[in-house]
Amino acid sequence: MINFNKVSKVYPNGVQALKDVSLKIEQGEFVAIIGLSGAGKSTLLRTINRMHDISSGSLTVNGHEVNKLNGKALRRFRRKIGMVFQSFNLVPRITVIKNVLTSRVPDLPLWKSLIGLYSKQDKIIALEALDKVGILEKAYIRADQLSGGQQQRVALARTLAQNPEIILADEPVAALDPVTAGQVMDDFKRINKEMNISVIINIHHVDLALKYAERVVGIRAGEIIYDGPATEVTEEILTQIYGRKISEDELMGA
Amino acid sequence: MMNILKNIFQPVLSIFIPNDIKLSNGKVVKPPKPITPYIVIALIIVTYFSVELTGFKFSTIIQRGNQFLVILRRMYPPDWAFMPRVWKPLFDTIKMSVLGSIIGCALAIPFAIVSSTNINSSKITLNITRVFLSIVRTMPTLIIALIATYIFDIGTFAGTVAITIFTFGIVSKMLYEQIETVDMEPFVAMEALGANKIQAFASAIVPQVLPSYLSISLYNFEINVRNAAILGYVGAGGLGLILDEQFGWRAYDRAGVILFTLFITVVVIESISRYLRERLA
Amino acid sequence: MKTSTKKLSKQEMIESKPNKIIMDTLANEPKVWIIHLIATFIVLAIMYWSKGAINFRGIQSNGVVIAKNIFTGLINPDWSLLLNLTRQGIPFVLMETLAIAFLGTFIGAILAIPLAFISASNMVSKHFTWLGVFIIAAIRTFPPFVYGIMFIRVTGPGPFAGVLTLAITSIGMIAKLYIEAIEDIDKKILESLDASGCNTIEKIRYGILPQLMTNFVSTVIYRYEINIKNASILGLVGAGGIGAPLIFAMSAYRWREVGAILVGLIILVLIVEYFSTAIRTKLARG
Repeated sequence: MINFNKVSKVYPNGVQALKDVSLKIEQGEFVAIIGLSGAGKSTLLRTINRMHDISSGSLTVNGHEVNKLNGKALRRFRRKIGMVFQSFNLVPRITVIKNVLTSRVPDLPLWKSLIGLYSKQDKIIALEALDKVGILEKAYIRADQLSGGQQQRVALARTLAQNPEIILADEPVAALDPVTAGQVMDDFKRINKEMNISVIINIHHVDLALKYAERVVGIRAGEIIYDGPATEVTEEILTQIYGRKISEDELMGA
Repeated sequence: MMNILKNIFQPVLSIFIPNDIKLSNGKVVKPPKPITPYIVIALIIVTYFSVELTGFKFSTIIQRGNQFLVILRRMYPPDWAFMPRVWKPLFDTIKMSVLGSIIGCALAIPFAIVSSTNINSSKITLNITRVFLSIVRTMPTLIIALIATYIFDIGTFAGTVAITIFTFGIVSKMLYEQIETVDMEPFVAMEALGANKIQAFASAIVPQVLPSYLSISLYNFEINVRNAAILGYVGAGGLGLILDEQFGWRAYDRAGVILFTLFITVVVIESISRYLRERLA
Repeated sequence: MKTSTKKLSKQEMIESKPNKIIMDTLANEPKVWIIHLIATFIVLAIMYWSKGAINFRGIQSNGVVIAKNIFTGLINPDWSLLLNLTRQGIPFVLMETLAIAFLGTFIGAILAIPLAFISASNMVSKHFTWLGVFIIAAIRTFPPFVYGIMFIRVTGPGPFAGVLTLAITSIGMIAKLYIEAIEDIDKKILESLDASGCNTIEKIRYGILPQLMTNFVSTVIYRYEINIKNASILGLVGAGGIGAPLIFAMSAYRWREVGAILVGLIILVLIVEYFSTAIRTKLARG
């Protein structure tokens, strides 16, 4: 369970990214966070695995007080939280399976990961993860030779090979075309349902958020404006979140 | 009289201070200030002083230039009987280049990492290493070799030290320039999944830099073979030593054998290295 | 070792039963590690072979003392020599080094122009480019200091020989970079000049030169930077510049003088490098 209790975040340059955010997310939920760019979506997501620190309030994830975690404990905590990025963040020039295997690196001695000496068990885990996102046959191809959608699936497989309890996805489909975006969202949905992994996803496209998520959190200028089932999101609520009517580019038509 | 002077000076002056251009509609366009004429004048002055300082004379080249060809002509036919005495210094040259390149390239890694702005956030250590590397790079290999012969005695060891230091300076710079172009996003992904900074560097940065690092190292090895050949001149072992001897005795046919061997060696090593570098790209 | 693999396979059985496709994919893993192993082995073998020749006879008995002396010489150089403005002073030798490098680069840069034009594949027929390429390769055959020795026979010892040496040895690299610039020329501009009735000389002046100028200038400045370092070693063969006083000072064990010369050289190279980089970045940005 993720529990935000009156969390605020002020950046060193004085920008207040989060204001008194209180939010509870249960294990296995599929939550979409929507809002304008700059509203604090990305900050909210990144406080969960402490890629960003919070300024005040308290944040607990599965019983851990996130802001008290440091060094080794923080890294062990992060092993249970997968993260997927807008730009995929794969290592170019190496193969797909090696990219997936990088998620095993924290458990390996350094010299083994440097010369790429992974155990058979690790390789099987990686291949199974690739199989779950349907690109097993690409395992030995260089990651930078794949299409955007395939690369995002590799990133998802990397996260799965970590065996996470939570997946944080920061605009995972923003760089993809509508059809591919839909396929990647299907993958997220399936993983969420079959493996009971919580999925928290920042998303720019309202229609995809409403279609795939059970729960929608709308934020505006660092504050939660709406928090409820996706089915109950109305035109007025969206207008409130976005401060205006929804424009075409926020809809993907998937 | 004044008019004639004016007629001569006006066009000359307009090169430096161009006249305003009046358009037919009465608008005045001010042309930009030219810099080319000033550069030309500066070049002429610098050339003049350089000629004075170096004692450069065209007449000497015309009168004695054939001396250059005389030496070249005496290299042919090469004295092939000298060949057996070329092998050892040739191998010494190659061995110095190999070891110097490998050690220098290895030493360059930590310094390049510390000098990369995207990896090292400490401005102080970054600038100290960069200044240190620039100073190392100002030293020509032959001068390093000269100093090394005083410290380590005459021989191949001094040459290896010189090549190591030269390689270290240049590879560090080329490598940190490469490291600074890498994609840092996978590094962030590694940190997010619980890797520490060293693990993240090893998994996300090393694979991106490794091919260019190997390519830089090979390229440097090519340069080093050429460089190592001359080190013998200051007593640091290799071909340069016998080359200097044969030139000193005016045994140009033997010098020809040495130069020919060196040429073939350089061509072979460059071809292999280029083939490998193309495969790495 | 054996027990651990056994353990692992047992663990596999318990934890998951990977399906056949996954096991097949695993079996089809490309065997790149064999190539890596061979490459590593070759490198190690070459290293072992090289090791044989590096006879480290230990640091010379007074080597440590000399190293210390050079270091203290660098920190506390002979200031009177560094600030001496006569012909014996370091500023004069540095000026001489600058002048040798300047004239050498200048002559080399001019000689390289015709060579580059006859070697560029878009200027002459493909059948003739070999000639220029051959000349460049032939020039590069000899190491610079061999030219130095040869030119001393022509001019006698002194900076003049250095100038000629640098001129010849610069041709190769400068021509190579020129050729790249020439082969990048946009020929459409020539068509439009043709259309406006320009003759060949006008086409070169207004169509080709402006495109090449910045590139050529940048190349020459870069080579000048390299030639400063080359000029400083030519003194070792008697071809002028800062190398000669260095070798004298070293053989006479005058370490503060050595320090002063090295400090002078370091400062000179750093200054030239700084301006060279600044000008070239400016040229590249237009």
